[in-house]
Amino acid sequence: MDTVKAQQWLIGIFSILLIVALIIVAGVEMKKSRSFKPEIEIDDMSAKCITCHEKKGIAVKQIDAWKESKHAVSGTGCYECHEAAKDDFDAFTCTGSDILIGRHPTPKDCAKCHEQQVAEFADSKHAHQFWLLKNADRAVFENPIATRHGCEQCHNIGNIWPDGSVGECDVCHAKHSFSKSVARQPETCGECHMGPDHPQIEIYLESKHGNIFKAKSAHWDMNYTSKQGEPIPLEVPVCTTCHMEANETQPLTHNVSARLAWESQMTWSFRTVWNEEELGNWQKKRERMEAICSSCHAPDFYKTYLLTADLVNLQYNEIRRQFVYWTKKLTKNGKISRLEVNGKFYSDPVLNGWDEDPEHLMYYGWHHEGRRFRMGAEMMGADFTQWHGIWEVQEDLMEVIKWAAEHGDTEAKKIAESKHPAKFITYALYDMPGNAWGIPTKTNTTPFVYNNYPDYWDRVYKNVEAAYQRGLLSDEQWQIWLDRYENKEYYLGNKFSNSPVVDSTFNVYKKRNEYDLKKMKEQVIDLVLPGKSFFKGRKF
Amino acid sequence: MKFKEWLLERFPIDYEKFVEFNEKIFIKEPIPTHMKKWLFVMGATPLIIFGFQVLTGLFLTFYFMPSPEMAYESIRHITEDVRMGYWIRGLHRWGANLMIISLLLHMTRVFFTHAYRKPRELNWIIGVILFFLTMTISFTGYSLTYNQLSYWATTVGTNMIKEVPLIGDLMLFFLRGGDVVNTNTLTRFYTLHVMILPGIIFFFIFLHIVILRLHGVSIPEGFEEKYYSFYPHHFYKIIIATLFLLTLMSTLTVVLPPGIGIPADPSVTPTHIKPEWYFFPTYRFLKMVSLHVGIYATAAFVLVFTFWPFIEPLLSKEKRKQTIFSRTAGVLTLIITLILTIWETIVI
Amino acid sequence: MAEEDKKVNRREFFFKTGVFTALGLAILAFFRNLLLYIFPERKEKTFHKYLVAHEKEFKKDKRPKQINIGKTPVFVVPYDDHYKVMSGICTHLGCIVKWEQDKDRFFCPCHKGEFDRMGNVIGGPPPRPLDEFKVVVENHKVYVYVEDKVRSPWA
Repeated sequence: MDTVKAQQWLIGIFSILLIVALIIVAGVEMKKSRSFKPEIEIDDMSAKCITCHEKKGIAVKQIDAWKESKHAVSGTGCYECHEAAKDDFDAFTCTGSDILIGRHPTPKDCAKCHEQQVAEFADSKHAHQFWLLKNADRAVFENPIATRHGCEQCHNIGNIWPDGSVGECDVCHAKHSFSKSVARQPETCGECHMGPDHPQIEIYLESKHGNIFKAKSAHWDMNYTSKQGEPIPLEVPVCTTCHMEANETQPLTHNVSARLAWESQMTWSFRTVWNEEELGNWQKKRERMEAICSSCHAPDFYKTYLLTADLVNLQYNEIRRQFVYWTKKLTKNGKISRLEVNGKFYSDPVLNGWDEDPEHLMYYGWHHEGRRFRMGAEMMGADFTQWHGIWEVQEDLMEVIKWAAEHGDTEAKKIAESKHPAKFITYALYDMPGNAWGIPTKTNTTPFVYNNYPDYWDRVYKNVEAAYQRGLLSDEQWQIWLDRYENKEYYLGNKFSNSPVVDSTFNVYKKRNEYDLKKMKEQVIDLVLPGKSFFKGRKF
Repeated sequence: MKFKEWLLERFPIDYEKFVEFNEKIFIKEPIPTHMKKWLFVMGATPLIIFGFQVLTGLFLTFYFMPSPEMAYESIRHITEDVRMGYWIRGLHRWGANLMIISLLLHMTRVFFTHAYRKPRELNWIIGVILFFLTMTISFTGYSLTYNQLSYWATTVGTNMIKEVPLIGDLMLFFLRGGDVVNTNTLTRFYTLHVMILPGIIFFFIFLHIVILRLHGVSIPEGFEEKYYSFYPHHFYKIIIATLFLLTLMSTLTVVLPPGIGIPADPSVTPTHIKPEWYFFPTYRFLKMVSLHVGIYATAAFVLVFTFWPFIEPLLSKEKRKQTIFSRTAGVLTLIITLILTIWETIVI
Repeated sequence: MAEEDKKVNRREFFFKTGVFTALGLAILAFFRNLLLYIFPERKEKTFHKYLVAHEKEFKKDKRPKQINIGKTPVFVVPYDDHYKVMSGICTHLGCIVKWEQDKDRFFCPCHKGEFDRMGNVIGGPPPRPLDEFKVVVENHKVYVYVEDKVRSPWA
């Protein structure tokens, strides 16, 4: 080791090691902990606005937001949007200057550059005037001042401006950054699509999609550009992914109605006919939605899933039919009446009567619970389909019937006093053997309707067939349904329900259940306290 | 040949004498045979690393800006944006750590082989001074990164100077250039780090080596008094050490790249603050006792440590007993230092 | 014996050459990395689109339109079905040119430089035509490509 030769060896070895180390050093990329914002070229006109606004401290944050925007980088300054002609409805001379500007840039202004997006939006139901065309007069029940910041704030998304354009782009594209990531955030949709009447954001957050989004999205780049032909860059969809954005096959659209097959916010669920000429019929729209589903899911799954949701919509109609039957009958018999002034009606027994219980209940059964029932089924909100949905709808229907019975309706009395479980099902049923989630084994052995009506599936078959023949289900859906119908023992899981493996598993829990019940009885049910009731023996 | 003559005419040194001098001082420098053992290379290591520190430090000044606004950002820039920047910074940072490690090892070796004994007492003292200078230059360098940890380490570290009797307050004021750590502190530390301290260190290294050369390398007990010449054997050894150190520091930089931390925030003290590891023993000790006791005890230890070559003969006349005293003191110091370091490392 | 010696010498020579070549390469690699550090990376220039005009602005009036990109005055000149976008900085000594509609020319007041509608020099001292931007027309909107710059102390 001590020889000069050995040292030369060491020099050689360490030289080579050093070369390797230096090559690795040169190849390493350090992670950047910050990125710099692009330099923006502020044109003279904008510079004028900004200088004055900043000096006076008016809406300064809006300027900061604009500086973050893509507009700022691409040369779209203040005046490009706030430009106004002398007789524009919103024109005014900015204080302390001689600049004529528009206070409210409208979709017409946006369309100067974003023509297609504005046109698509105007063709969507976001721009529809339904709430003015067939509305309840809110002022009857809710004060006008409340509607200013209530109804009118959300429905401003479809405002018709004095210049004839419709919509309000910055409802989603928050001004003045117009950030795509803000527009994409589910909570942006949830600003309006929430609450008891259409809780889409709550439904989304209950769904697996929403849950994964919440868990993982903190570091996702939500500012991407959605382009047809490119895969969706998110692991799970947000609202806009399915309703607007592009994927491998679909183009990006600002027409949120282009992919919807139902009018499931309506009093009755019906297949949409919105701009059929250009957007095609409901099946065409459903195809678009399915094309998005197919980015992540197998057709087998999403087609079954959607068929189930469709049958929920159809089922809703049958319950709705009951509400209408009873309120109409009660109106006809003079048990309930419409609000009226000078021959003009302010309530409608089948839409929005609020002064008598049956009307009130039916309103809830549609506008709140009936929507939750249907929308929950469409967007994976199990609890909204079930407890916030059908349970409440059904309860309201029974309340209506009870009310009718109490007010002397003999038919209602018969139902109300009946001891048969079928008293709750005064209407026809849709059904489908099994579900999209898997093959159950014991679930379908218990339902009353399966066990007491040998012709149950024949009845259901006829109902589904009738809906199909009415065009409410597609050929393909009918085939999927038929396939399940023909193999219903398999899909219902009855085929497996008595197999030894299933039984042995089931029996474990059966025993535990029995033990639970026994213990519950021992612990608390049979407990009698020595202390007396404080009410007993009280002198009245 | 022509060039040589041309040059010698304009730079009239006695060439023959120069060659002779070079041969005598460098090429034929007598190296005792025990130096062939790698254990005894620890003295050259800090020198080599110091060379690297000067080089990489110089390179860092190409991009570093000593102002509170830009210090952190420029270090981020060097680390993340500049090509090879993380490497230069990594070399500098690992160099600082390795320099202290190698100094500790060098001192341990010198102490336990009693190389500090008469007539080499002065060189021991100079060595100790060099060690503390290195600690100081490391501390000032660490402060320059201006992240949360370094900012608060600076604040806490400089506060201790206040405890120095009589001139403490003045020294603190001088170091900080104000009452609190501020813009002046950063530029002062920068000047100290890149100009004053390296200059002083350079001077002491020079002195250290001159004294070493005048005495010749001390020969530990049990080795015979035989010599070989510097070139080529020992020269190669230096090359190997250099290559090894550069490879080691580069690899460490790739595996554990220098971080940039969180920007300094004078209004928020981080929950867990710790100095660099080489201050752990002192830091732990100061946490255990009151500040005054801590500082005076530390100062006393430093003094005893520095003047040990003169203290040792006072303890006993017998060489054998001296050796026993020294070994005991050395082992105790090592163990206590190790315990304090490990303690501080594992306790949050 | 002499043969043997030669062989040994030759082997020795190759060995030494190998060792010192490796050492030389290591030193070279070291200095290469150092040099890369000193010389800041020249980044490839990237560009973004900047809106300068809408086509309809020129429907009635074919006059060059002047706008500013940052502090640089820029002229948008329609011709046939295309657009030419030129910097308004005179190529002579950097004064700002102005459009003279009646004379159908750009005129630089500093040294009487004259450019035609397309930016070519037609008189005076300017050494070359006005600098041009790359133009793209999309959806009836005229964009130019402007160099990307970032707001950083290191740009």
